[in-house]
Amino acid sequence: MIPGKYRSVSGRAANNVNCGLHLVIQTSSLPEKNKVEFKLNKDTSSFPGRLLQHDLERNYSSRQGDHINLVSSSLSSFPILQRSSEEKILYSDRLSLERQKLTVCPIINGEDHLRLLNFQHNFITRIQNISNLQKLISLDLYDNQIEEISGLSTLRCLRVLLLGKNRIKKISNLENLKSLDVLDLHGNQITKIENINHLCELRVLNLARNFLSHVDNLNGLDSLTELNLRHNQITFVRDVDNLPCLQHLFLSFNNISSFDSVSCLADSSSLSDITFDGNPIAQESWYKHTVLQNMMQLRQLDMKRITEKKRLTINNVARQWDLQQQRVANIATNEDRKDSDSPQDPCQIDGSTLSAFPEETGPLDSGLNNALQGLSVIDTYLVEVDGDTLSLYGSGALESLDRNWSVQTAGMITTVSFTFIEFDEIVQVLPKLKIKFPNSLHLKFKETNLVMLQQFNALAQLRRIDQLTIDPQGNPVVNFTLWKYYVLFRLSHFSMQKINGTEVTQNDMIMAERLFGILAHVASSELPQYRLISILGDARKKQFRYLLESKGKKPGIINEENNDSKRLVGENTNRATLNYTTRDFYNEKLEEIKEKKKFCKTYIEDLVKEATEINMKNEALQKLWPQMFIELVRDAVIEIRNKNSYMKLCLQQITDQK
Amino acid sequence: MLSPERLALPDYEYLAQRHVLTYMEDAVCQLLENREDISQYGIARFFTEYFNSVCQGTHILFREFSFVQATPHNRVSFLRAFWRCFRTVGKNGDLLTMKEYHCLLQLLCPDFPLELTQKAARIVLMDDAMDCLMSFSDFLFAFQIQFYYSEFLDSVAAIYEDLLSGKNPNTVIVPTSSSGQHRQRPALGGAGTLEGVEASLFYQCLENLCDRHKYSCPPPALVKEALSNVQRLTFYGFLMALSKHRGINQALALPDKGDLMHDPAMDEELERLLAQVPGLVNSVTASPEASCLPSRTPPRVGSPWRPLHHSRKVDGESDGSTEETDESET
Repeated sequence: MIPGKYRSVSGRAANNVNCGLHLVIQTSSLPEKNKVEFKLNKDTSSFPGRLLQHDLERNYSSRQGDHINLVSSSLSSFPILQRSSEEKILYSDRLSLERQKLTVCPIINGEDHLRLLNFQHNFITRIQNISNLQKLISLDLYDNQIEEISGLSTLRCLRVLLLGKNRIKKISNLENLKSLDVLDLHGNQITKIENINHLCELRVLNLARNFLSHVDNLNGLDSLTELNLRHNQITFVRDVDNLPCLQHLFLSFNNISSFDSVSCLADSSSLSDITFDGNPIAQESWYKHTVLQNMMQLRQLDMKRITEKKRLTINNVARQWDLQQQRVANIATNEDRKDSDSPQDPCQIDGSTLSAFPEETGPLDSGLNNALQGLSVIDTYLVEVDGDTLSLYGSGALESLDRNWSVQTAGMITTVSFTFIEFDEIVQVLPKLKIKFPNSLHLKFKETNLVMLQQFNALAQLRRIDQLTIDPQGNPVVNFTLWKYYVLFRLSHFSMQKINGTEVTQNDMIMAERLFGILAHVASSELPQYRLISILGDARKKQFRYLLESKGKKPGIINEENNDSKRLVGENTNRATLNYTTRDFYNEKLEEIKEKKKFCKTYIEDLVKEATEINMKNEALQKLWPQMFIELVRDAVIEIRNKNSYMKLCLQQITDQK
Repeated sequence: MLSPERLALPDYEYLAQRHVLTYMEDAVCQLLENREDISQYGIARFFTEYFNSVCQGTHILFREFSFVQATPHNRVSFLRAFWRCFRTVGKNGDLLTMKEYHCLLQLLCPDFPLELTQKAARIVLMDDAMDCLMSFSDFLFAFQIQFYYSEFLDSVAAIYEDLLSGKNPNTVIVPTSSSGQHRQRPALGGAGTLEGVEASLFYQCLENLCDRHKYSCPPPALVKEALSNVQRLTFYGFLMALSKHRGINQALALPDKGDLMHDPAMDEELERLLAQVPGLVNSVTASPEASCLPSRTPPRVGSPWRPLHHSRKVDGESDGSTEETDESET
């Protein structure tokens, strides 16, 4: 280890002594580190770090020198640094004074060819005494107490300047650093971006964790590729479109709340990577979509890769949905409206148009139609799995439920989100959902055309739902006052926890039961048995029959049996008859029944005819019978009048028979 | 019952008037649809159940609109079913939009048309903004008039339009009412400028309509009563008056306005249901004996033409609110 005479002496003591003290400071005060890791800061992306690594990776051992002497001269109050000659030869271009408890920059003599200088983790308050190091390329003053940028005017070769975690209030005095490549000012107290417009070779600028409230004045930074502005108080961003090379922009954890305040981003053609997380804007429901739509060139959003395909797809799905809704609306209203509206511009694909929502395309002319046909061939749906969420956009996505999902993936999914899909279509795949994704507890619906309370009946067939989110956008049912209570009532057997983010309280459940309890009662106990069975279908026949048979018993026993069977049957049976058949199925069924109805009608008519005929005949008979009876009697009397001849006649008849 | 006039009608017409055929056809159709299930417990029992439910008024539940609309008895049963099921919504005091009422209607009849609900809403809102909220009782009474007399009201609307535009339908037909010699009235030029039409003239036309009409109409005497206090009236004013008229209401399905929220049997049942809500610590107010079980005992017999005021389960516990019980059956 280090011989005693080189043990470090407290830096403070050293500084107070003005003359004649030998200060021996060992540089390898960090035994665990063999390499000095030239980390820029924790917030930086890996990109510049990697580049610098190139310069520093050659085992920059902190044991570079056992002999570094800081001698304070009698002429100044600054300690003077001296290194042994072996050191100077071995590590001629680099010097590390990390964690030396320095409060001032020491005078460095005889090292004018130094290229890398490291003052990390000290207590330096001013940058001084380095003006002679005119070959310096990299200066690291991370984690000191510097209050002002100064003393750098001779360092014309400086390429990397690391001033993170200091107390700098203002960017200044960088005029001569025209070769600056990396400027790190994170963790300071800077309130304004200024005085950097001449840094035309700057590639990386880190201003994270400062006090910036807005971003502008960025012109002139023609080489800037990465700009880190995390953890500030930024409310709007300007001038970014003046940065021709900017690729990575980090705006996480600021105060951006509207897309207008970052509108210049849409005009930047070079941006490929953006983060917005931690801003109010990222909470908005249309956040992802809007960003994607307005920044066609993005490859990553919030550090998640977005493929071109995905972006196009989501836009396409949205457009298809709108068209569909328009078509439906147009059919409902009159045809002649189509002529009056003029088609508006569709969303431009290479777009710099800033719109928060896909523009409504009016009734289309054929050219537009063709263009859109072409698009629809690409992809009209999107399926996305993101950890525990499965997102489906567009009705084609429903087919993806048929895929072979690995048990692990499928088991992890707890949330399923449907967007731009008709609810009626979703209803038809719910059984599949139940089987393939058994852990899905939270369902989200947006733009799914939920218009009737009845449609919620369809959700009863699932195994379990803990949370339900029905986005008001595209789901008119949310405008009804009673919709939540109806959901709670119909799906009471799920014991839902949350609806649209609000907890379900006991009071809600009571109110739901109070409002609709009688409906359930009527729906179950007042329907004749055959109707119950036909509504419920085969699967529940047996269960229900059991119930109904038991209901025939004495009333006193009913309650217990009811409770028993309620536990047997998964669902509250008195609601079971409240079903939802999609409109199409319903109409189909009615069509089918038409045949039967016709038959029944003719059958009954025949019956009636028969009955009326018989009735008529009966009546006619009634009318005629007296007369007929008299005639019968008269005939008989006339016959028997002459007894003798009658006797002969009868005998004749008998012999004739033989 | 066995009055000779009944026998004077030819058979088919008699059956048709009583809508017997409708029910027969429907019964056979239901039989066909549910063949397998019904054959298991016997056709006779099926018919028993079917006609029982017709008498009780539960046959229209969850049926298609064409059936619900088919006979006056069906309509009345539907109205009653709607009232009973959603009385609690009214009791809660919620004001709902027309669309939401329509939704509730659709819960009972999936393909109920929107136009009827809209027309009913127009009566309540006097043709004003259609997005207004309506109270349950207002809507229900208006809906009753609209639904039960819908064909009649369509004709009335036509007559009203004619009167407004100055055409007097009375010029064609000699009225049979005792209102005296028919006079050729000159075109009522003034009718259009003042609001509505003259009440007495309007009533004459209505009377003609009632005579000719084969659909059900409100009793003319009551209509006259409704029109008696006003000189002139608008179409919707007339409908409002109809819907609020107590006598007309009594002839139909619903209890009086004051009693609209009052249904003790159902309230008991509701308490019982509430007690079963999991985790609820309310004491059950009704004893289990007073449960309203599906009664398989034969209901009180009323002719299908006369609506039953309370299709209450016949068990000994039915309590005493006696207003429109057997005394009303004449």
